[in-house]
Amino acid sequence: MKARIAVAAFALAVLAVPQLGRDYYSILMLSFFAYATVLLGLNLLFGYGGLLSFGHALFIGIGAYAAAVLTGKLGVLHMEAILLVAVAASVLVAAPVGALCVRYVKIYFGMLTLAFGMLFYSFLLKFYHLTGGDEGMRVLRPTLLGFDLSATPKVQFLIGPYYYYSAAVLAVAAFVMWRIVASPFGLCLKSIRENPTKAESLGISVNRYRWYAFVISAAYGGVGGALLGPTTGQVDPNLAYWTHSGNLVFMTLLGGFTHFFGPVLGAFVFIYLQDAVMSVVSYWRLVFGAILAVLVIFVPGGLVGLVTGRGVRPGIKAMRESPR
Amino acid sequence: MLAHALNVLLSGVFHAAILFLVAAGLQLVFGVQRIFNLACGSFYALGAYFGVSTVTVLTGAGLPRPLFIVALVAGGIAVAAVGPVVERLLRFVYDRDETFQLLLTFAVVLMMEDILRIVWGTAPTSTGGLYLIYGQVRALGVTVPVYNLIVIAAGIAIALLMGYMLARTRFGRIIRAAAENREMSEALGVNMRVVYVKVFTLGTMLGTLGGALVIPSTAAMSEMGIDLIVEAFAVVVIGGLGSMRGALAGALVVGVLRAVAISTWPELEMLLIYLIVIAVLVFRPRGLFGAAAA
Amino acid sequence: MKTSRRQFLKTVGAAAVGSGVLGAPAVLRAQTKRGVPSDPVKIGVLAIRAGVAAPVGAAGQRGVEWWADRVNKAGGILGRKVELVLEEESSPKDTVERFRKLVLQTKVDVISGGISTAVGLALGPVTEELGTIWLSWDATTQNGVEETIPKPKWAFRSVDNEAEAVGGAILTAKHFKGIKTVAGINNDYSYGRDCWATFMAALKRYTPDVKPVLDLWPKLGVTDFSSHIAAIQQAKPDLLMSSFWSGDTTIIMKQAAAVGLFKTMKACFTTGGGVHDSLKKDFTPEGLILGYNSMYFNHVGASPLLKQFVREYKAKYNEYPPYECDHAYFTVEAYKAAVEKAYAAAGQWPAKEQIVKALEGIEVESLSGRRGYREDHIMMCNFYQGVTTHKNEFDFVTIDPVEVLPTSRIQKPAGSKLYDWINSWRV
Repeated sequence: MKARIAVAAFALAVLAVPQLGRDYYSILMLSFFAYATVLLGLNLLFGYGGLLSFGHALFIGIGAYAAAVLTGKLGVLHMEAILLVAVAASVLVAAPVGALCVRYVKIYFGMLTLAFGMLFYSFLLKFYHLTGGDEGMRVLRPTLLGFDLSATPKVQFLIGPYYYYSAAVLAVAAFVMWRIVASPFGLCLKSIRENPTKAESLGISVNRYRWYAFVISAAYGGVGGALLGPTTGQVDPNLAYWTHSGNLVFMTLLGGFTHFFGPVLGAFVFIYLQDAVMSVVSYWRLVFGAILAVLVIFVPGGLVGLVTGRGVRPGIKAMRESPR
Repeated sequence: MLAHALNVLLSGVFHAAILFLVAAGLQLVFGVQRIFNLACGSFYALGAYFGVSTVTVLTGAGLPRPLFIVALVAGGIAVAAVGPVVERLLRFVYDRDETFQLLLTFAVVLMMEDILRIVWGTAPTSTGGLYLIYGQVRALGVTVPVYNLIVIAAGIAIALLMGYMLARTRFGRIIRAAAENREMSEALGVNMRVVYVKVFTLGTMLGTLGGALVIPSTAAMSEMGIDLIVEAFAVVVIGGLGSMRGALAGALVVGVLRAVAISTWPELEMLLIYLIVIAVLVFRPRGLFGAAAA
Repeated sequence: MKTSRRQFLKTVGAAAVGSGVLGAPAVLRAQTKRGVPSDPVKIGVLAIRAGVAAPVGAAGQRGVEWWADRVNKAGGILGRKVELVLEEESSPKDTVERFRKLVLQTKVDVISGGISTAVGLALGPVTEELGTIWLSWDATTQNGVEETIPKPKWAFRSVDNEAEAVGGAILTAKHFKGIKTVAGINNDYSYGRDCWATFMAALKRYTPDVKPVLDLWPKLGVTDFSSHIAAIQQAKPDLLMSSFWSGDTTIIMKQAAAVGLFKTMKACFTTGGGVHDSLKKDFTPEGLILGYNSMYFNHVGASPLLKQFVREYKAKYNEYPPYECDHAYFTVEAYKAAVEKAYAAAGQWPAKEQIVKALEGIEVESLSGRRGYREDHIMMCNFYQGVTTHKNEFDFVTIDPVEVLPTSRIQKPAGSKLYDWINSWRV
């Protein structure tokens, strides 16, 4: 299948990038791995579940701060521990938050998630004794699979071991998500998106399934956030600000939320496009706003939609006035 | 003690007047078009910057300084011309899912930020000392700038005007009908396209007017719109989405509570708003005056 | 390396403005000295472009651009033309990315910039790991630096956070008698917190029984202080202290004037000079202490350099320059001086390590006067604070008398802890 070849080619290209000698662009890939992971989760909620969250950056923040607390404050340097804690913390927060939010749809869901995201942001800013406030917290270099690589220069660490580690995390995350959406659970989610009333009448607990999707997507957000931490070396409250959540949705739309790999493509294009535009244009927000507007109006299926020629799926149009 | 309480109340009501204007614009658009316009903050900022320019140009051209408020209001209303432009953009996605509409308004937010920066730069812009030109009122141990009272009065006047328009005029009836049942209204012969343009422009004008009216007491700064969105959003949630009375009630709640928090427990100021929003959305999702809906 | 269109326009513009003749580069190249490469020196510039600190970023960038024009007009650094590569400072995560791009991709020789605290803390370790000279404009903080950059080799930081607060306290004790109670209104982040704590600690050395009666913490970007002013009025302090440095200074001044706040109390605005030309006489009373950080545009002892800068800045931007211009100007001027000094010793364009060595302890003639770097990579300069007056030819306030406070007096010495140092003063 065409998609499989494209994915395989992409995977090979990813593995080859550090060898090209352009260190900066190799490091940029680390952002890509992190955001692609986050977006795989976000799309479970949005593309498959039909729920648009405007506060998903909350979980990136949780994951990133988990990395900071563990390495900087508690001296725990194992990346595996960091990832586990990031997932656990995200799930712990997502469970009650999700239970609240999934009772509502559309605008209310978006607004509630935005409120929770901003609440976390305010918490990070206000409780500076715990979180460092606006200064944030530092993230120390983790050990990968038990190997202490602190002797390696940071750049070599980032484009070498950490690069392949992050790529592996993304691959595993993608594989797991692939299984999830192909499973009965995934099918139920899609049916809920198309017609919640009908799904409910068929015995699917709508809120329960949405809740599962929310928690899973939160876990993915946490993993992505944890991956981002060591690259920057510092985490700060801006990671949870609502415009960061907006960018996540932007990326998803850019790639195309109707296809499994759409958001991954979206993350890739967004990151490299933003890098290119920022260096050249001082008013890059204008450019990006225009790009988003064009996407929403003319290419709602995203880049994947352009390639596969599918555009807007009929299901989406039907979502317009569906009742709760 | 009374003086202090009055002080707190007045400062809260002043803040509420501005919030009401922005929220009223939001409510109008949401009520009729079901679009949550994230760019309301950008319109507010636009009104502020444009208001300063209008005042500067007109007072420079000879307008007597005490009449600056006329220039201000004129500027705030005139710049609402950007409303139909943005509405034209949104028209592309009226028949799409709400999420796309929300995203398009987010795109407008991004673009507006840079447009404001391109036109007015990033240095704080204000009307200088004109704020003080009407003097102060001293009563019951409290000193209040007359300008604040003018803004509060303007807020009340506009609220009354909106109420009258919605209840008594034909256009108001059409708005209410369209908010209740779009298809039926169309079936009954209402030209929705024209209504949408008018409603969106009116909503924009409320926002730009709010920005213009507040600017003499403050200064226009980069990204002021982005910060305001969250407060405006809290107002409409508390008041109830789509309700004009909700905008008023929500604005008063947010404005006064914020003033009280600052005086009694400043630590809580930022968190308070979000906690209230979440509490409202959980316990009474339709807010104080909202229609019972999902 | 690819020169982006932006960079190209920048250098052409600089050359054109400076020499008035396009095509000057060929002439300049011929004048490079022995052992000096002929290609331009690339200086990376990180400036904030959006948000409340955007004006500060703009001021810094303008300072660097003015410097670059002058230097290129005079032939460059050792005959090598200067090329500025501009990137945006935003959130720590994004700024670290731009920083890495400047070093790894654009391969700049030095980076000048960095204003916000969080960004400063993030960039410190990155500059050390990449081994590039970073000259920070601001981004000072008390906490966290000991952890993130304990002994910086490549990072050169600005003055410590607390200098202005110390200066403000000293002047408060000097000019205002009988201050028993103080209210503080500061931005809710590290700089605001540090300033408040430092101010009170320093003031206590002069007036041991002074008491804080109220502290308010509006976040950066608040545009309405009427509720805060109500709280201040109720607390009835003798003095209001504020470390506001952006548009909020103007706003609170206006709203305070509207209720006559400063008729009943004194005030010390330690950093309000950042928006000095928006503090109009209409609403800014005389008799307040106002700090201009490290550059005062109207100083009676101003050098011809400063006078020219102020004149040209006003002509070009219709504003009077704030202090960030000199923070920025100094960093690149110090770099140039260090390169020249190291060249004299090495006989060829110096390596980074040699430039670092030359920067330590260096002193140059900056816009505001003599400025330098201490051995521990912290800036040394003069701070300008004073009492506001309406007696000038502008429509905004200036200060008279102008108190010149050197960092040797208001900044803690190398290796010492702030509160230990304050408590050790002989008052």
